[in-house]
Amino acid sequence: MYRFWATARQRRYLWSRTHVIDDCLEWTGTGKEMFLGFLIVIAILAPFLLFIQFVFPALLARGKAEAAFGLIFLFEIALIYLGGFARFRALRYRLSRSWWHGIRGGSDDPGWNYAGEYLGRIFLAAVTVWIAWPGQATHLWNSRWDAMSFGPLEFRAELDSEGLGWRWALVYLVPIGLLIAAAVLAFGIIGSLGAGADPLPRASIAAIIGLMFVVAYVAIPLMTLNWYAAYFRKAAEATTLGEIGFGFDATTMQWLGLFLGNLGLAIVTLGFGITYWGYRNWSFMVRHLHIYGSIDVSKLTQSTTHAPREAEGFADAFDVGAI
Amino acid sequence: MIAAKLYDGVTAHPHDVRVAFGHQCLTLEQDGGWSDSVEAAQLKRIEVSRASIRLGRSDTPGWRLLLPGEAAEDVRTLLGREERYGRWIDRVGLIPALAVGAAVTASVVAFGYVAPAWIAPHVPMSWERNVGGAIVADFGELRCRDGKGQQALEALVERVSPGATKGPNGIKVAALDVPMFNAAALPGGYIVVFKPAITETDPEALAGVLAHEIAHVRRRHVTEALLRELGIGALIRLFSGTIGANAEQIVALSYTRSNEAQADSDAVRSLQQANIDPRPTAALFQRLAKEAPEFSAQFLQSHPASGQRAQKFAASFDRREQYQPALSRDDADALFDICRNHSPHQ
Repeated sequence: MYRFWATARQRRYLWSRTHVIDDCLEWTGTGKEMFLGFLIVIAILAPFLLFIQFVFPALLARGKAEAAFGLIFLFEIALIYLGGFARFRALRYRLSRSWWHGIRGGSDDPGWNYAGEYLGRIFLAAVTVWIAWPGQATHLWNSRWDAMSFGPLEFRAELDSEGLGWRWALVYLVPIGLLIAAAVLAFGIIGSLGAGADPLPRASIAAIIGLMFVVAYVAIPLMTLNWYAAYFRKAAEATTLGEIGFGFDATTMQWLGLFLGNLGLAIVTLGFGITYWGYRNWSFMVRHLHIYGSIDVSKLTQSTTHAPREAEGFADAFDVGAI
Repeated sequence: MIAAKLYDGVTAHPHDVRVAFGHQCLTLEQDGGWSDSVEAAQLKRIEVSRASIRLGRSDTPGWRLLLPGEAAEDVRTLLGREERYGRWIDRVGLIPALAVGAAVTASVVAFGYVAPAWIAPHVPMSWERNVGGAIVADFGELRCRDGKGQQALEALVERVSPGATKGPNGIKVAALDVPMFNAAALPGGYIVVFKPAITETDPEALAGVLAHEIAHVRRRHVTEALLRELGIGALIRLFSGTIGANAEQIVALSYTRSNEAQADSDAVRSLQQANIDPRPTAALFQRLAKEAPEFSAQFLQSHPASGQRAQKFAASFDRREQYQPALSRDDADALFDICRNHSPHQ
């Protein structure tokens, strides 16, 4: 239960130690509103879950498998829709609780349309075995940020997938290439040995194949990370706020360092180090984020957007980040 | 007068102001002649560090007064002590708050531990029937179906606990061709015995094992374990006829130590009443304790120290007693062969 209040405390600490130009940020979100957000999510999701838990087995038991799986399918569609909604609302909530020079951000868009677009784009990406993902991801970034503002200034995002495509192709090509290389290597060795060869080299062939499988499993996450590193760099550059531009300079290796560092920290401290992850992640973002341009503080007036009362409960429930 | 910076919450422009601390209020002045007074009740601390103090106003969002660190004493006089761990905790103090928190947590855990034992006896056996039946059906192909063997197995249950297989809540026993030394009580009064527990023991020792499992059924330990391990939600799911757990999970349910001790005591008494020699059961437990852990781990899991339980059975041996065989010669042979005609790949 305390984790909502702990999160609020942690953010207050992190924001207050983050300097932007001449003053620090301020977080005004509270544990109470995050708890409220959590309760809302429970209230919405619980009937869903109970319904599935009772109706699904009951339908199966009565031999209505099509109906049962149709229901699950609908349920998953609803979950994806809510996932998109969650991501939008989390960003909106965070901006509405982030203050600088006594001014906050926010959005007047409730996010339902964004959730619909999210569902559609996830569907498009899924039917193309995610090959079309870069294009969809960039469109979603634009839709999300275009709806946001800080004070009177609107965020504008003009991200396109140019140059991101080949990195995404590597996610598919590198593992396939590795597997082909492994197979060629293995068959080459078998061929050179001929029939009835000593079993020992055969064992080492199996080891090579096994090793390559492992490499393939490591390769996919690594290549995905490689893509996301480029995506975030490009996304920050494509986003503006009034006359302010952004830049993000974390490389794939730096991202990898962050994740391995988090993992190592958790292992070395037997899990207690996980409490430090929030700080590490935030400071990583802040260190690599650059803000350019000028801002006329006397024209930066208070935000007129509606400040949501509930917090990012949905994002919390679906475990998605805000950005 | 202290120099400070003011954000008015209307624009992001910082105003240079001079601040004077008065009685229950704060006065702000600016060079152009502008001045304002804010009551202490409207002020709140936003952030306090050694170098600076940031105050906000509860009636004006975004209004921020940035004071230098040296104003700390004045701010304390005006606003009182700073909130430290949060309003509720500050009111009672950290240590009492921690103690209360620990007590609440402990009682929740204790309730979770004790509640299943209270609730289990009140769960109608009929709710569990479907679940147990489904699990036995799950094992389907593995079930040993030799008619005479099945009769002998049921006879052994009747011998240990007369009348146990009768009535709507009667015990249903099944032998399974699974190469693992184990026996388990399932929800709904089902007891499954795995093949090695039949072929690698004599009927007397098997009688002891069955008596132990019957006790688990009779005392509703199975329901208790279900509630304990799957949570109170298991109750609702029992009622709806599906448990949402697979057969392996149910077989691997573990009882508490006191449940096990109770089942052992009941088993000793059953053997006495049935006039069956307890020594083979004692020897079986002794043997299981010595055997490689992978064979005995499941059965011995969470059981009282096996040496002790072997002793419990051994101690109940009475040399003056005229013990009777657990099964007739024919029944014992039939039981031994219960899985003979079974071939899972037919």
